[in-house]
Amino acid sequence: MDVIANQLFAGLSMASILLMIALGLAIIYGAMGVINLAHGEFVMLGAYATWALQTYAGIGILPALPFVFISVAAVGWIVEKVVVQNLYHRPLDTILATWGIGIILQQAVRLGVGAESRFVKGPDLLSGNTEIGPLIMSNYRLFVIVFSMAVLAATWMLMTRTEFGMKLRAVIQNRAISECYGIEAKRIYSVTFAYGAGLAGLAGALITPLFSTIPTMGTGLVVDAFLVVIVGGLGSLIGSAAASVLIGEATAIFSIVINDTLGRIAVLAGIILLIRFRPRGLFPTETRR
Amino acid sequence: MEQLQVTDLQVEFGGLRAVDGLSFSVQEGEILCLLGPNGAGKSTTLDLICGKTQPTAGSIQLNGVEISQMLEFRRARLGIGRKFQVPSVYKNLTVDENLSVARSRRPGMWSALTRLSLTDARESAAILDRVHLGAKRAELAGNLSHGETQWLEIAMLIAQDSKLILMDEPTAGMTIQETERTAKIFRSLSDSHTLIVVEHDMSFVRTVADRIIVMNRGAMLAEGSIEEIEANEDVKTAYLGH
Amino acid sequence: MSSKFQYDLVALVIFALVVAFGVPAVMNYDGFELNTFARYLALAIVSMALSLSWGTAGLLNLGQAATFGMGSYAMAMHLKLRASDGLPDFMAWNNVETLPWVWVPFESLTFTLLAGLLVPAFIGGLIAIFMFRARIAGVFVAIITLAFLVAFQLLFINQQGHTGGQNGLTGLAQMSLFGWIVDPYSMGFYNLVAGCLVVALAFGVYLTHSKFGLILRAIREDADRARFFGYNVANYQTLVFCISAALAGWAGMLYTLVLEFASPTYMSVSFSLAIVIWCAVGGRESVIAAAFGAIVVNMLEGRLSDVFVEGWHLILGVIFVLVVMFMPRGIYGLLSESLQKLRGIGRPRDHRDAETFPNT
Repeated sequence: MDVIANQLFAGLSMASILLMIALGLAIIYGAMGVINLAHGEFVMLGAYATWALQTYAGIGILPALPFVFISVAAVGWIVEKVVVQNLYHRPLDTILATWGIGIILQQAVRLGVGAESRFVKGPDLLSGNTEIGPLIMSNYRLFVIVFSMAVLAATWMLMTRTEFGMKLRAVIQNRAISECYGIEAKRIYSVTFAYGAGLAGLAGALITPLFSTIPTMGTGLVVDAFLVVIVGGLGSLIGSAAASVLIGEATAIFSIVINDTLGRIAVLAGIILLIRFRPRGLFPTETRR
Repeated sequence: MEQLQVTDLQVEFGGLRAVDGLSFSVQEGEILCLLGPNGAGKSTTLDLICGKTQPTAGSIQLNGVEISQMLEFRRARLGIGRKFQVPSVYKNLTVDENLSVARSRRPGMWSALTRLSLTDARESAAILDRVHLGAKRAELAGNLSHGETQWLEIAMLIAQDSKLILMDEPTAGMTIQETERTAKIFRSLSDSHTLIVVEHDMSFVRTVADRIIVMNRGAMLAEGSIEEIEANEDVKTAYLGH
Repeated sequence: MSSKFQYDLVALVIFALVVAFGVPAVMNYDGFELNTFARYLALAIVSMALSLSWGTAGLLNLGQAATFGMGSYAMAMHLKLRASDGLPDFMAWNNVETLPWVWVPFESLTFTLLAGLLVPAFIGGLIAIFMFRARIAGVFVAIITLAFLVAFQLLFINQQGHTGGQNGLTGLAQMSLFGWIVDPYSMGFYNLVAGCLVVALAFGVYLTHSKFGLILRAIREDADRARFFGYNVANYQTLVFCISAALAGWAGMLYTLVLEFASPTYMSVSFSLAIVIWCAVGGRESVIAAAFGAIVVNMLEGRLSDVFVEGWHLILGVIFVLVVMFMPRGIYGLLSESLQKLRGIGRPRDHRDAETFPNT
């Protein structure tokens, strides 16, 4: 019983991280139909930015979050301006170009910082555990869960309650007509891409105490995040949230029932089946196209 | 004998009945025109016959064979050809290559593996002269003008040699002369083909139609010759809206 | 015969002559250099295989490395069995006591050669049927094949006792073909690989210019339209996937012969990406261009990775992004566009006509 409860908590913790990575992906895909294969590298950049701030400026994870968000968002903004913007009419090529960008970012970090694993200290404030009966929950992991839900809520507000969100939804519905009404689709796209990248950066910052910070850390995470986006229904925020819990828990449970590798294979197989039979995800957004 | 028999056909899109209890039949060698205001369900009817859309109820029989649940390519092999409202030719292929794709008497893979890409276009070269595209055979279809694209698609349908051809607004964007030439081609086609044509151009309809069906809100409003339709009160109401 | 077909045949003959006679002469018939170049030629086969499914049919297969790996392991299993008395060494280390049944038929070379072609074709075909019956297209094909590749590699490494796991299969014997012991550093071996590439290319050129290739291009542009002409689109897509997978398996077998080992890195995501890069750089529309792309990029890698040991992948990434952005049709597109311009200069009247009466 104890093992299962603790594993469920581990699954939830994993889900909260996946959610933050997947949110950025989902927004970028939902808004512009771009499958961003460099997203994992945005996460990695966020992690390295956090490490750099802590090592060279002595800034802890929590105060570093705004800086990390802004700097990774800036990288995303540049990538969008320079590369992605030229490829909106060639969706397959955006996959390839963002894949290439991923390699460039990964190699740049490997050359600049080195391939060895870097260590980031978690915040002292959140050290220790909260125990409920047999369930032992690390305070930091609890914080990440709460934080990710706050990010989800903020993103939802941004999309539904602000002028920016309204314009974005207009552009998603019909870019040409929105432009006739004076909405600058290009700018909306740039900002959306930057925001998605910024979220990935935040996720990267938050996972530094939990994962080892290495140049290839993003690759594995982004596969899972993709699964979340696809399971959740492309572009759906609430779907992404539900799917991240589903996949986080599924991975956690598979890994105790069978072993880690087979668990991952089972999840991958599940995804393939899902795309085949429910190509619009489990929670498709209701639109008439 | 009836080549096509449509009975109680119905299709729903999210609560909206685009086609609702439609029944009609088409004789071999006939040219049937479908008329009706926008949203009457004309194009949807063609979609249902060629398999682009699956009906929610009703039956479609081609020469006595039920086809309403068949996949598109099987219906095409049984002899149904379709021209779309927006001309659908392969813009990145040459005119000749388009024709070769359309010439699909042997649609199987094994015959495709043993033939060179343009063999089939050679067989149907005469068709291009008929639509005045003979000089543009090596041109990419994307470089053709709108009228020429319409004709290329018509030529492709002739090359496909379907017994039943569904035409969705074949003369849209054509000049008067081009429309007249199209009408002539259609009349000569009806020797060996059956045509169902959706068209708005009444002078064109007058020239080609053997029979007319007027649709409104997914159902049949009137049926008959051009004179009968022009005298019909219901049709006037539907078009003028009172 | 169309003029494009004639150009391709001429290009093929020139390519074959250069590879068969030019390259060995430039290499001074040096065994080591020839082996390196044979490696590029083997990779050229997998690149041209990708161009069939991606360039011709528009199906971006990011799992090409998986089928390459299957062929590579089929050959390695045979050579491993020839090198060991009974049980291969790594099995004993992993407490596998009897030879697993999948290994047994690989004692036979004939079976191995067939399996190296047919197993990838079969697995590729299964995935293809699975996807294309449901009309999966575009980016979803890329994602499904990528997910398959990741799962397949994980599974392969996980079954250490049967596959050698992370270490791969090493300590292989040399292949004996009708009594000829194949030495990977010999001119004869180089000719074998070059011959395989030329045959594969001739097959590819024929395929792209057959009606089958034409229908695939039509499907790439508008699959629905092809269905209304009576073509069973899923079957066409499945067959090209099978052919592409079989060619990749073939390339994998040759690759094992060149390097004398098989490694699970042949099935990695980064290797799959590399194949896509070669194909994109050369030009995915043409099998010859795709093969050329593989050779050029690998030669560059051979030269540059000595100079920039760490930086090579960075350079490759930059090249790739630039190609995707500015040269989406690769070197092939660049050449054919400049050829068209040259012709335009040759016929100035046409050129002016086109300017005066633009098509609307």
